[in-house]
Amino acid sequence: MADNPIEQFGIHPIAEFSVAGYDASFTNASLAMVGGAVLAAWFFNWAMKPAAMVPNRAQVVAEGAYGFIHGMLKDAAGTEGVKKFLPFVFTLFLFIFMANMLGMFPGVFGVHHIFTPTSQIVVTAALAMMVFLTVIVVGFAKNGLKFFKLFAPSGVPWYLLLIVTPIEIISFFSRPLSHAVRLWANILAGHILLKVFAGFVPALIAAGGFYGLLSVLPLAMTVMLYGLEFLVAFLQAYVFAILTCIYLNDALHPGH
Amino acid sequence: MADEKPPEDALSDLRRRVNAARGEGAPDTPPPQSPASLAMRYGGEFGAAIIVGALLGYGVDHFVHTSPWGLIAGVALGFGAGVVNVVRVAQSYSRSNPIDPNAPSVPDDEED
Repeated sequence: MADNPIEQFGIHPIAEFSVAGYDASFTNASLAMVGGAVLAAWFFNWAMKPAAMVPNRAQVVAEGAYGFIHGMLKDAAGTEGVKKFLPFVFTLFLFIFMANMLGMFPGVFGVHHIFTPTSQIVVTAALAMMVFLTVIVVGFAKNGLKFFKLFAPSGVPWYLLLIVTPIEIISFFSRPLSHAVRLWANILAGHILLKVFAGFVPALIAAGGFYGLLSVLPLAMTVMLYGLEFLVAFLQAYVFAILTCIYLNDALHPGH
Repeated sequence: MADEKPPEDALSDLRRRVNAARGEGAPDTPPPQSPASLAMRYGGEFGAAIIVGALLGYGVDHFVHTSPWGLIAGVALGFGAGVVNVVRVAQSYSRSNPIDPNAPSVPDDEED
């Protein structure tokens, strides 16, 4: 029984090897990420295999998820955004959603807890940087130098631009940071909270007597928090995806 | 042919029924954001801008040797950018959650 609420975030190598002197071991974090990606890919292939006119339950789920992201991207970035970015945003959403959801399952096969990759800021930062670089590359490829209009809003007199432009630049560069930190902090805080409350239960039982009866309270709290965490797992994937849509819209239509 | 209408086949009948059933349910609205996550969002946007502003200012200092003025200017502009970020989040929030015009007014309990 791991009493330390931080222990669940420990990274343990499963297969150790290194590439060009760098440690590139396959760890429990890698396993959780590969598992999430494979599970999502398998589910969609399996659910859409019949491709029936009257869908069965799995197909409704798959089509619903697709329609959900499609509508979200269309609202934020228009038809052009859907044409260019739907695979990217849909993949991001599914990957984060599956990673969050897999992390909600407690231990199997002797593992204490399935690792939650999104509780490591490296993972969320990599995802956020991917979005950020996509915005920059697509923005310059599509608009050329007009992409700089993003930093100089129209209708601002030139003397205010001296202040507004640096502020806009900082605001632009702060996006990947807040984008990454939001997902990471939510998942990390939620998992620590769960573990802390769950840890009260054996501690109170060990105290014995009247305290043992009190252990029902943190147990009930853990159950409630678990429900809340499932909501957070979905909500954070949704928030990450919708912010991606908003940022990608800037790449297509800068300067407003 | 007298009847130019397309044949009423099973497919269009199904489409009508699906649309009717969809119309009864709630439309595709985003899930409501909890106040805590909204607060986290405000804080994150504000803090991130200050950190990035400070880092950019520090970077300028490092290359142009103007220490500490770049850092000072960077932090100050970072605060500005943070406020801009928070205002943008608040704007998008109130755009997606418009105030109910029929909401009861809150009485002003200020003594004046």
